[in-house]
Amino acid sequence: MQEETINTNKFTSVLLDVKNEVLAQIVDASSITELEELRIAYLGRNGKVTNLIKNIKNLPKNEKKRVGSLINEVKNTILNALATQKNSFKESARDWFDASIPGEKPIVGRLHLVTQAIREISNTFEKIGFTRVRYPEVEWDWYAFESLNIPKNHPARDDWETFFIDTPPHARYGLMALTPHTSSGQVREMMRVKEPPIRMLNIAKNYRRQSDISHVPMFHQFEGLVIDEGISIIHLKGTLDYFARNFFGKDRKTRLRPHHFQFTEPSFEVDISCGVCNGKGCRLCKEGWLELGGAGMVHPTVLKNGKINPNKYSGFAFGWGVERTFMMKAGLEIGDIRLLYSTGLKFLRQF
Amino acid sequence: MDIIISNNWLKDYLKTTASPKKIAQCLSLSGPSVEKVEKKSNDYLYHIEITTNRVDTANVYGVAREAAAILPRFNLQAKLLPLRTKSKQSFSRKVNYLNVKVDSKLCPRFTAILIKNVKIKPSPDHIQKRLTAVGVRPINNIVDISNYIMHEIGQPVHTFDYDKIHGSKMILRASKKDEKLTTLDGKTHKLPGGDIVIEDGDGRLIDLAGIMGGQNSAVDSKTKNVLLFVQTYNPINIRKTYMSLAQRTEAAVLFEKDLDTELVSLGIKRGIDLFTELADGMPENKILDIYPKPYKANKVATTLAFIEKGLGIKLSKSEITKYLNLLGFEASWKGNNLEALVPSFRARDIFIAEDLLEEIARLYGYHNLPSTLMTGAIPDSLPDAPFHFEDNIKNLLSGWGGIETYTLSMVPESSVKKGALKLKNPLGKGSSFMRTSLLPSLVKAAKANTGGGGAFHLFEIANVYLPRKNMLPDEKMMLAGIFANTSYRKAKGVIEALLGKLNAKVRFVAEDGKGFSASKRNIIKSNNIKIGQLGILEEDLIYYDFDTSLLNNISQNIASYTPIPKYPAQIEDMTLILPPKTRVGDIVISIKSSHKNLAKAELVSVYKNTHTFRFWYQHPDKTLNNKDVEIIRKKVVSNLKEKFGARIKN
Repeated sequence: MQEETINTNKFTSVLLDVKNEVLAQIVDASSITELEELRIAYLGRNGKVTNLIKNIKNLPKNEKKRVGSLINEVKNTILNALATQKNSFKESARDWFDASIPGEKPIVGRLHLVTQAIREISNTFEKIGFTRVRYPEVEWDWYAFESLNIPKNHPARDDWETFFIDTPPHARYGLMALTPHTSSGQVREMMRVKEPPIRMLNIAKNYRRQSDISHVPMFHQFEGLVIDEGISIIHLKGTLDYFARNFFGKDRKTRLRPHHFQFTEPSFEVDISCGVCNGKGCRLCKEGWLELGGAGMVHPTVLKNGKINPNKYSGFAFGWGVERTFMMKAGLEIGDIRLLYSTGLKFLRQF
Repeated sequence: MDIIISNNWLKDYLKTTASPKKIAQCLSLSGPSVEKVEKKSNDYLYHIEITTNRVDTANVYGVAREAAAILPRFNLQAKLLPLRTKSKQSFSRKVNYLNVKVDSKLCPRFTAILIKNVKIKPSPDHIQKRLTAVGVRPINNIVDISNYIMHEIGQPVHTFDYDKIHGSKMILRASKKDEKLTTLDGKTHKLPGGDIVIEDGDGRLIDLAGIMGGQNSAVDSKTKNVLLFVQTYNPINIRKTYMSLAQRTEAAVLFEKDLDTELVSLGIKRGIDLFTELADGMPENKILDIYPKPYKANKVATTLAFIEKGLGIKLSKSEITKYLNLLGFEASWKGNNLEALVPSFRARDIFIAEDLLEEIARLYGYHNLPSTLMTGAIPDSLPDAPFHFEDNIKNLLSGWGGIETYTLSMVPESSVKKGALKLKNPLGKGSSFMRTSLLPSLVKAAKANTGGGGAFHLFEIANVYLPRKNMLPDEKMMLAGIFANTSYRKAKGVIEALLGKLNAKVRFVAEDGKGFSASKRNIIKSNNIKIGQLGILEEDLIYYDFDTSLLNNISQNIASYTPIPKYPAQIEDMTLILPPKTRVGDIVISIKSSHKNLAKAELVSVYKNTHTFRFWYQHPDKTLNNKDVEIIRKKVVSNLKEKFGARIKN
């Protein structure tokens, strides 16, 4: 083009042609790179539109203003088209991805319900200073019964369907038995500690000669034993209520009812308020209460057998089934308790 | 023991306006535990659990006595209506109708009376109904009277056909071993000896005393004259006899609890009344009564301070007296010292101050006592407690897919080593020995689960019981596990990872073992002590076990710190061709020990006899260049070539 006045009409017509040309190409463009190339080709330093703009100076003076605004409009239209096309690429440029696909799981192992129960129970008591211990499962009659004020031939022994080992009796300690309760650890703990305070938590396997839907020949108990100066019934109540609140839930309470055990005096049966009806009474409980297990104040004869001075020290003890207590908490209704000790993966993998 | 009490019957002796439901609630909170109240036609039945020390409450009258003491504590009016007898007979050491010789060690109190001309017929309706309600089948008036008295006051009563006692003579003695006696249920017993028996004038055994009468002296439809017989017996003999003969009668269960000798008077007088009333019987004037040591009330002493300390609250002396009186004790105070006289029906239960404390506390009401945690020093925890260590293992193994199981400690004989502890009274042959290894239990568990074909890993931490002479067994806490449908390298990897996490330094040493396939088992050693084993069983399952206490000893809770190398390692893979039957474990050990700057070597992959290893060459003080590495590599390769005939694959 010559460096002289040019025809305004011709200029505008060229400008509009160029505009249409670039818009058509923008719509056809299939990538961001292509768009960038178009931008350079038309709006770049040496681009077609840029070069046309350079000619504006050759237009008649009175036309310059009108043509100038036309140029601006063309430029904006091209830029807008470039941006729109570019954005549409961004949408479709995303890789196809299905976030709904199920994950690949690692092999998931399981801790047995009894282990879970033992952990929760010991955590609860360890917070108030109980020391976890473990004593022999195969035990002398003396520790299992006689030291606990249950002499031979006492009818109370019938409550523990005890397994005995086929060995000659020991001169002092009698027959060998499978511990039917964790109370066998009471005198052992007294002898270990020697001088109170004692706050024992004995969790162990126990054995009784029974097998039906609510009994297994092997089961677990946890036994609390507290001995110190000035321990009374109110401390037992305090400890049981602490356990009820912290293990079962903050609104739960316990109550004591009279009972009899040879190794505690007084002896109690411990109930916990029903968590389903909150003590009002429902199908699951007995007038708002569920039986937890036995407890009592340590009998002075038992303290003496553990070489602890009953005139100076007093204490309380409680011993309950781990399985039963945990199932009551978890609200598990396992119809046949023997299932707990089955080794079927279909059962074990549920927990 | 569980008993059933009829509310209608109870009301004979308890005057109260309280409802059966309320009575049950109050009894449960302060006395015998009422398990449920059951409505039956126009009566309510209390199902009560009686503890072994409170045989005095195992009857209608005893429950009435407890209720009369307890109900007022709940602001309910209640009064005991005492059981009065009409019989005017006197007690005498000698009577003309019976000649007896009694061993008083076996029979602390012996009473009997002859009742003539009894008419055997059905009992009146109300008696039959009451018996039926509490689960006793009415037979005829004679049998029913005995049962009625036993349920009413808790005293077993026996009746002989007087005319079948030869020579009107009785000798109450301990049986000799193998003496024979047929009881009235028709069973002939060969006696173990030391049983309480009664012999008549012809030397015949006519009664297995306290358990069941003899057939040869039993009342039958032709009986005219009855000997009413009320005793207490030595509870130990009774218990031994019924246990060894498996003859657990209601009477035996009561007698083994050591019955109140004073109750005998009431029992025989009530019997005379009922025989007169229901059987038109003509009782003799004198009751034979052999009672050399009559009851003298036990005295139990305690102090106000002891009671308050035990309860954890303050209590006035007059309140204490009130509670004790309600329960039939006489209480007297000297200053703050209390002396209580024990009523005869509590003589087998109340001996020491703690026993009194229980009586006071339950009447005060356990529910009325405050609840507070103890203060005082917290004891030190058990030194070397193993619980955390065992828990850690359980966490690690379950984290790697292991499934924890609990199997029974008792196993069949075929599963134990010789000399294992044998149960005297097992539930069955399959659980008659204490296990000496967890292996059989886990194999059984694994086999029960192999049906699905999937891979699994079961593990357990439990004791085994190793016998020791004249001592309790050595209880070893073992960790054991079993892998099914799992490759040996994967299973071993879990064990290696476990040992790694426990920071336990061990060696795997190949050694055959019982139950394992030949050359497929390692023993795992630390400092030449065997701490465990791992191998493939003949069943193609992979089994391992460890003695947890030995494992604990060689484990470190926290790994020791190794400074992080300043200079990078050169890493390269090398594929070796090994001659057949080369042990790769030995190769790894040899590689690792061949040069100090070979920081790490691992097996990456195996294809037939080619094994690819990854080597980390690293120097603590400099970056190794290719020339340095070349020297190390040469050393390693020549070593492997020399020792194992291994060559590099190009």
